[in-house]
Amino acid sequence: MATDAKTMFTMGVELQLLPCDPQDINTQRCRIGPFLMTSLRLNIGTPVLISTPGGSCLCTAWPRRDLAEGYFQFDPKCATPNFSSPTREASPFKCQNIRPLNCPKLKRVKVNVVVKSTELKKRMSSLLIHDFVKEILSGVHVHERHVITLSSFESEMTYIYIENANSGSTKAGLVTEKTCVEIAGVITVAEHRRRVAQESPTMSLGGMEDVYASLKELIHLPLFYPKTLSKLGVLCPRGVLLVGPPGVGKTMLVQSVVKEVAATLVTINGPVILGSRPGESEENLRAMFHQAQAASEEGPCVLFIDEIDSLCPKRAGSSNAPENRVVAQLLTLMDGISSRGHFVTIGATNQPDTLDPALRRPGRFDREVIIGVPTLTQRKSILECLSKKMPMSSSVDLIALAEVTTGYVGADLSALCREAALRAILHSSEGSDGKAIEMHHFHEALKRVQPSCLRSSIGLTDYKPVSWEQIGGLADVKLKLKQSIEWPMKYPESFVRLGLSRPRGVLLYGPPGCAKTTLVKAAATSSHCAFLSVSGADLFSPFVGDSEKALAQLFRQARACAPSIVFLDEVDSILGSRGDARVAHSVQAQVLSVLLNELDGVGLKTAERRGPQRKLCESEEHPGSQQEQQMEFHEVCNKDVMVVAATNRPETLDSALMRPGRLDKIIYVPPPDHEARLAILRLCTEKMPLDPDVCLEELASQTSLFSGADLENLCKEAALLTLHEQSMEASRVQQKYFNKVLQNTKPSLSAQQIHVNSCEIIFK
Amino acid sequence: MAQTVISLCHQHLKKCFQTLEMTNKAWNLVLAECTPLISSLGNLGEQLRALDNVQLDLTPLHRFPDLKERLRFKLLQAVDVVLCKLTDKVDELQKLLKTLNNQVSTAFQFYEHNTDTLDLATCTLRSATSPSIADMLEWLQDAHNYYCSQFRRRKYLLQVLRPDDLVFMEEVSKRWESFYSADGEEHIEDTLSRVCLFVDS
Repeated sequence: MATDAKTMFTMGVELQLLPCDPQDINTQRCRIGPFLMTSLRLNIGTPVLISTPGGSCLCTAWPRRDLAEGYFQFDPKCATPNFSSPTREASPFKCQNIRPLNCPKLKRVKVNVVVKSTELKKRMSSLLIHDFVKEILSGVHVHERHVITLSSFESEMTYIYIENANSGSTKAGLVTEKTCVEIAGVITVAEHRRRVAQESPTMSLGGMEDVYASLKELIHLPLFYPKTLSKLGVLCPRGVLLVGPPGVGKTMLVQSVVKEVAATLVTINGPVILGSRPGESEENLRAMFHQAQAASEEGPCVLFIDEIDSLCPKRAGSSNAPENRVVAQLLTLMDGISSRGHFVTIGATNQPDTLDPALRRPGRFDREVIIGVPTLTQRKSILECLSKKMPMSSSVDLIALAEVTTGYVGADLSALCREAALRAILHSSEGSDGKAIEMHHFHEALKRVQPSCLRSSIGLTDYKPVSWEQIGGLADVKLKLKQSIEWPMKYPESFVRLGLSRPRGVLLYGPPGCAKTTLVKAAATSSHCAFLSVSGADLFSPFVGDSEKALAQLFRQARACAPSIVFLDEVDSILGSRGDARVAHSVQAQVLSVLLNELDGVGLKTAERRGPQRKLCESEEHPGSQQEQQMEFHEVCNKDVMVVAATNRPETLDSALMRPGRLDKIIYVPPPDHEARLAILRLCTEKMPLDPDVCLEELASQTSLFSGADLENLCKEAALLTLHEQSMEASRVQQKYFNKVLQNTKPSLSAQQIHVNSCEIIFK
Repeated sequence: MAQTVISLCHQHLKKCFQTLEMTNKAWNLVLAECTPLISSLGNLGEQLRALDNVQLDLTPLHRFPDLKERLRFKLLQAVDVVLCKLTDKVDELQKLLKTLNNQVSTAFQFYEHNTDTLDLATCTLRSATSPSIADMLEWLQDAHNYYCSQFRRRKYLLQVLRPDDLVFMEEVSKRWESFYSADGEEHIEDTLSRVCLFVDS
């Protein structure tokens, strides 16, 4: 009874962990205070299993030399693979983690010998290895699926992995001279690490199923069907080039595939390879290929060259001799693989155009896999993967989240989730109860995390959201805009049903100050598109060809995060007309030709491909919920960039720009009529305290030819005049001030201008 | 009862340390005998390599037929003889190790059978004349481990030796020397001096 009480008492004792004494290294001893040993009912040499967060470790209990209590030391000779000793700073060591273990003498034990290199295998006969291992193991307590670490100078062997003890009937035991040691295999350290890694859970990867499958097949093919391939007399494809913008998960994809097929991964990093001495870089490169080949002799192996553009730039362009030599070495090595080694080379880059063309041919990189910016469905599955381990509240709608995150790549989405989780933690620490992540946390995170493909884009603008209600009048213009921008996003299924496609471009024209820009803002706010706005200042540069490049770049980025809106304000100043003979080959004409091509070119560059090419089959039964179905429609329907242009001089625009297929929706934004003016005045005076004698109706009828901007100005002036005439304490704006201002201001529009504008398009 | 068990245990330990002392002396003797053999092995390796390098046709000796092969045969025979002798020495070491092993495991077994009487308080009790039982068991285990690893390494070295790997053969004596661990020997000496009073009592 007394000892029981003692045991109960000791259960809560916390010990301070100290590093192992040098004399105890490789002795499998753990040092415990004698009092604690007695209360745990341990004798000298009793085997104990020590469990820590980093794994578990089998030791024999010994009293401390100085007999002090409260400290704990152990030697991790027999521990789980990847065992990491807890650091002293970590939480104190608890007594419960020391557990006595029954270790009978073993009859047989099955082990894997891990050697530094394959040389040992050649040098020693298997019988010799067997005797040697037996001698090393005798007198050692072993535990199944644990690793015995051998002292470094023992031999070329580094570990002995215990597969099972007594054919699996016992967990742990003592190896004696009579134990029959069976060696399952002699493997290298790399192979051992691979096997250990295989047992750990795989990473999850969303939205890359097709690329994943094709990569996996490529690695598996030569391993599973070597005879078939040799019968056909063909060589297996050996190289894959992964192309995609940064952050889409190229590196992660490779790591995940490698883990899944349990291959060894040899990674080459450009900067690590490049050395300072002449010839050093080539030597390093050869060494890496050699390493991959050595690994491939034991099992599947993947040689991964990350950021291959840094290692293999175009040779023609540079006169840098050492760099060219590295490129040449890489090419030769890649050619050499097919005859010698059996491993797959995977290169990853986000700038395929800067690669040496010699690299991109079958025999070197046989296949090129393009991973684009994720589409809507891909984003949803990425979000599903990311949120698997997060406590999500039921309010989180992943489909809605996927819809608003246009242009976000995998890395952005994971940053978004992290940010949302951080918000949730902050909120919970502030006192509100929820530990789960709510939808509003995601909304807050969205403000902080911007899509990385739009970073450094010239067109990215931060605009104040505007709702349709904030624009007075113009009901039919609003409707037309909604039809061409908002409807395809909101009702994709109806568009698909009627065979409608959304317009490629919208041109807004009309007299200045009539809310063209504000209308576009409202359209961008209501549809969750990426919104890129560009003006002449962004485009024009003193260098020849720079403006065209900037515009093409803008469209490339817009396509990467489609559906998106590109807004060209004051388009007449950006683009000239080719008909204008006075300025042939001007920059404006060049920019115009780029725009025409971007709007209605032959096709996209291959490197810009995104997601699987989907087509909708109407006859097919769509599985899944209605929401998912709608998502699919959405993805098919909205994969293009919409161009919205605004101008007040439509007559200067090139006629090629205005044909259907380019800017096919041409909307006239008229100056406000009486009704519209009234609505605008109401909006402008919403926050103004008005005297009861103010009659907006009357004002509206008096202000013909006033634009929206004029009306806003009128209200402002009237209020200022009130302050000026009365005093700073004035509380109401009276009608007389409106009238006074009205006398002094002239409308900015003229009747002739309006006539010209409204007739313009009809004449064309 | 307890006293008799303790004195019995002490008896066992005394025997162990006597064996250890004997082993230590014999071990060093055998190793001393090995040294010339090992160095001659290195010598032979050097000679074999010299034979590989020399072009006998260019010397006056080219008149003797098959001289190279004969010389090689002679040298390899000499290597064989040296290796045979070394194997005998290793066998001797193994015998010493076995004796020590037997004694040590008997002492441990005795302790394990009497853990009821020999509780930790008793085992960790040190006195003026004798170290504690725990300490002595630890020293014995340390000494045993040391000899085991020494034996393993030397045996391994001789077993991976092959006549075609001449570089390795030339390095043999250097490697053999490197196995000698001053710390380990010192530890054994320390142990023996610590227990000398206890053993003599």
